[in-house]
Amino acid sequence: MVTVQARTELKNSIRLCALLFAVLFAVIGVRAWFLQILRSPDLTRTLERQYKTSVLLSPKRGTIYDRNGNELAISVQVESLFARPHMISDPAGLSQRLAGILNMEPDAIADKLREEKPFVWIARKITQQQAQAVRALEEQGLEFAKESKRTYPNGELAGQVIGFTGLDSEGLEGLEFRMNETLRGTPQRVAASRDARGRHLFSEGFCSSAQDDGSDIYLTIDKTIQYIAEKEMQATVAATGAKSGIAVVMDPWNGDVLAMAVVPLFDPNNYSQYGRDMWRNRAIADVLEPGSTFKIFVVAASLAEKIITPEDTFFCENGTFRIGGRTISDVHPYGWLDVSGIIKHSSNIGVSKISKHLGTPLFCDYIGRFGFARPTGIELPAEASGYMPPSERLSEHTRSVMAFGHSISVTPLQLAQAYSAIANGGVLIQPKVVKSTRTSDGETRAYQPDAQGQRVIDHASAQILTEMMQTVVEQGGTGVKAAVPGFGVAGKTGTARKIYNGTYSHNRLVASFAGFCPVDNPRLTVVVIVDEPRTMTYGGQSAAPAFSRIAQQALNYLNVAPRVQIAAGEAPSTIHDQGPPAAGRAG
Amino acid sequence: MHSKSLTKTILLFGPLVLTGLGIIMIYSASSIFASCKFHDAGYFMKKQFLFAIAGTLGMLLLMRVPYERLRRLAYPLWALCLGLLVCVLVPGIGTEIGGAVRWLRIGPLSFQPSEFAKLAVILLLAYSLSKKGRDKIKSFSIGVLPHLLMVLPLCVLIIVQPDFGTTLMIVVLLVCMMFIGGVRLRYLCGLGLLGACAAVPLIAMKGYRMERMLTFLNPWEKSSGSGFQIIQSFLAFGAGGLKGTGLGAGTQKLFYLPEPHTDFILAVIGEELGFVGVMLVVAVFAMIVLCGLRVAAHAQDLFGAYMALGIVMMIGIQTCINMGVVLGLLPTKGMPLPFVSYGGTSLVMNLMAVGVLLSISAHADMKAQ
Repeated sequence: MVTVQARTELKNSIRLCALLFAVLFAVIGVRAWFLQILRSPDLTRTLERQYKTSVLLSPKRGTIYDRNGNELAISVQVESLFARPHMISDPAGLSQRLAGILNMEPDAIADKLREEKPFVWIARKITQQQAQAVRALEEQGLEFAKESKRTYPNGELAGQVIGFTGLDSEGLEGLEFRMNETLRGTPQRVAASRDARGRHLFSEGFCSSAQDDGSDIYLTIDKTIQYIAEKEMQATVAATGAKSGIAVVMDPWNGDVLAMAVVPLFDPNNYSQYGRDMWRNRAIADVLEPGSTFKIFVVAASLAEKIITPEDTFFCENGTFRIGGRTISDVHPYGWLDVSGIIKHSSNIGVSKISKHLGTPLFCDYIGRFGFARPTGIELPAEASGYMPPSERLSEHTRSVMAFGHSISVTPLQLAQAYSAIANGGVLIQPKVVKSTRTSDGETRAYQPDAQGQRVIDHASAQILTEMMQTVVEQGGTGVKAAVPGFGVAGKTGTARKIYNGTYSHNRLVASFAGFCPVDNPRLTVVVIVDEPRTMTYGGQSAAPAFSRIAQQALNYLNVAPRVQIAAGEAPSTIHDQGPPAAGRAG
Repeated sequence: MHSKSLTKTILLFGPLVLTGLGIIMIYSASSIFASCKFHDAGYFMKKQFLFAIAGTLGMLLLMRVPYERLRRLAYPLWALCLGLLVCVLVPGIGTEIGGAVRWLRIGPLSFQPSEFAKLAVILLLAYSLSKKGRDKIKSFSIGVLPHLLMVLPLCVLIIVQPDFGTTLMIVVLLVCMMFIGGVRLRYLCGLGLLGACAAVPLIAMKGYRMERMLTFLNPWEKSSGSGFQIIQSFLAFGAGGLKGTGLGAGTQKLFYLPEPHTDFILAVIGEELGFVGVMLVVAVFAMIVLCGLRVAAHAQDLFGAYMALGIVMMIGIQTCINMGVVLGLLPTKGMPLPFVSYGGTSLVMNLMAVGVLLSISAHADMKAQ
């Protein structure tokens, strides 16, 4: 049936086939040997890198509460969408559908879907509705990860103090940044196997100990007082056309910052829509020349050092005085003024003369003791220290202008700290904004023990100074508008020219009022700064009324009983006489 | 005599061993995926097991049927195949999976006519080539043209599914069997040239085919994109080393390896059973091919010889292409590993083809007696 020739040809064909397959199988064997024996070590290493992904298990971020337990920052679980581009067959079509759901540009999504990466975020922290709509697409290569999203239920309230977190729930500004590790808790690094869909397979090397959730933080901030301060500063900024307004409200006895308002406000929920400039907590990060609010520290030092007595009088040169080869002047010309009068009328010449009596070394020493030119150490990031020229290089003129708050720069918080020292009878207490923390297992701890404080001046001197400062809000004083009906106020106005292009500007001013009340038993220290007001440029015109309104509402809220029920129309200037002296409270 | 019974033993048990190994490896490779997707870890394994039983029965049946009877079936089976391939393309009848329409669904079972087409082509060519005698084959109009006219429609129907791999396989089978059947080499060279000319636009037309070609040249350059698959395969082989990580202990199949239970099953074997396991699999395939060639050499007639050669080439070439792809020697091409990969039609057809081989072998024995 099969011819001999055919049989031979067939045999040859079969031999050829056998040879061919022998070669092919040999090549396959050699290749397998190459991959499995020769390259095995480095392929195994690559593989392990791929699998043993160190996974950061992010614990729940702690809540930020105000001093009364009102929530200021909370974390909620939301979903984020990611893609595995190599599993997606039709990036163009898919991106069109996703764009509709996510309100994104189709091209931007398509670019992501085409990326040569095994994993790419499409949209972080999307709404539940969006997540459901994407799920309904049932598309391969699209998956979700749970992430926690930070929200600030009060919106703008204390935005600059609280700050915000970025997409990865890491604090970027404010307390969120400064207290990040406390709030975040201890994230756990877990070497987990991962499959190509990114699911964690904890079968090997899984560390099972529970991670520590972040601690909650209780602030010293009082939500209501913060709101009052912000509202009043907004009104003041609006009325004066100022660039910005800052108010710090502090408990003078323990340094608790009750409010820290920085206007314009910003909403940390949408932080990216505001400029970086608006995120900054200007109450601690910005320095300014304090102007006349600084005068009381010269007087405080001179009283404490017994260099002057309240009865001493100084000739105020009728408004113009040459010292150190340069002229200083007063807004209104005065002749002879006692120390109280110098403060009441805010005489630059008078306070310069007092500083001359005090002398440069003591002057600088006391500035330092009042906490200036160094950070207060409050738990907030980016605190400025302010600036004071070194004492050995201080000319007579410089010392003279420093006496009324020029050639020196301070932060609003430093000013509040120093005023509190006078309010509490002479003790400098570190301001604080974090009251306590509560760990995830419920243990509450005071964040910082109440600072003992440093005595700066004796109690009697503080007492005398307080009385002098009360005259500022009395009839004829520069800060009449700071008076609070029903409560005695001690304070000081300030108006400083800002340095602009290297010289003192005539139309860029900082108006301020710093003070405390009620004088007999101070509950609040309030510092109000109005930056570059266009109208009402003097501290007594713009800052003093804001001080009054903030202090009045805050005292009201704190249920502080007024000493006297004053009849309508009665001048507030008589109030201070009614109160007994605040004796025995100094720490 | 003794070597012939050894041949039969190897041909009978070699494929069964591979099928058994396949079932185990399919379970290992697909259990996690299957439990995620079907809530049944054994989903693929069970289906493969049923097909293995069906295929084994088919094999045992065919090895008892005198293969000469198949002659009469050559044209009817070709026509049946053509009809089924047309049916696949009719909307509503064919089942689409992953963008390709390759399946006919009959109740819970799905059937892949293109797998059947390979066997039908082998039978047709073996019959036609042996019938015409080696002298007439030399003429173009007798040796080449009829075969082309009958096989090309099948190719066209398969390429539009699209199934480039099976088409390529059939073309290769066509050329090889015509060569063995004695068709002049110059015709075959001309055909090869034509085929190459046809392949170039087919590759260039579909972006992914081009991409696969380019990726093949340097997979590491696109390790996360188109090179992802083949690199994951390399990593699996590398991780296996000499002895492997142990059955079930591989990690690459956890969704990293594309199609771990189908085309890339050798990579799972490489990872879990190591170089030793891979070489044993290669050795079993080599023995099957060798024994198949022996059967062809001792066939009692040309039809048997051609059938045997066609079957051996179908299994051998498919094996080499699959292994070449998985090991990165060839561009990525969907081609299952015979007997081992998941795929019911392929398994049944291959086992039945072995049954035919055994039948040819049995009749050669009878003649020798």
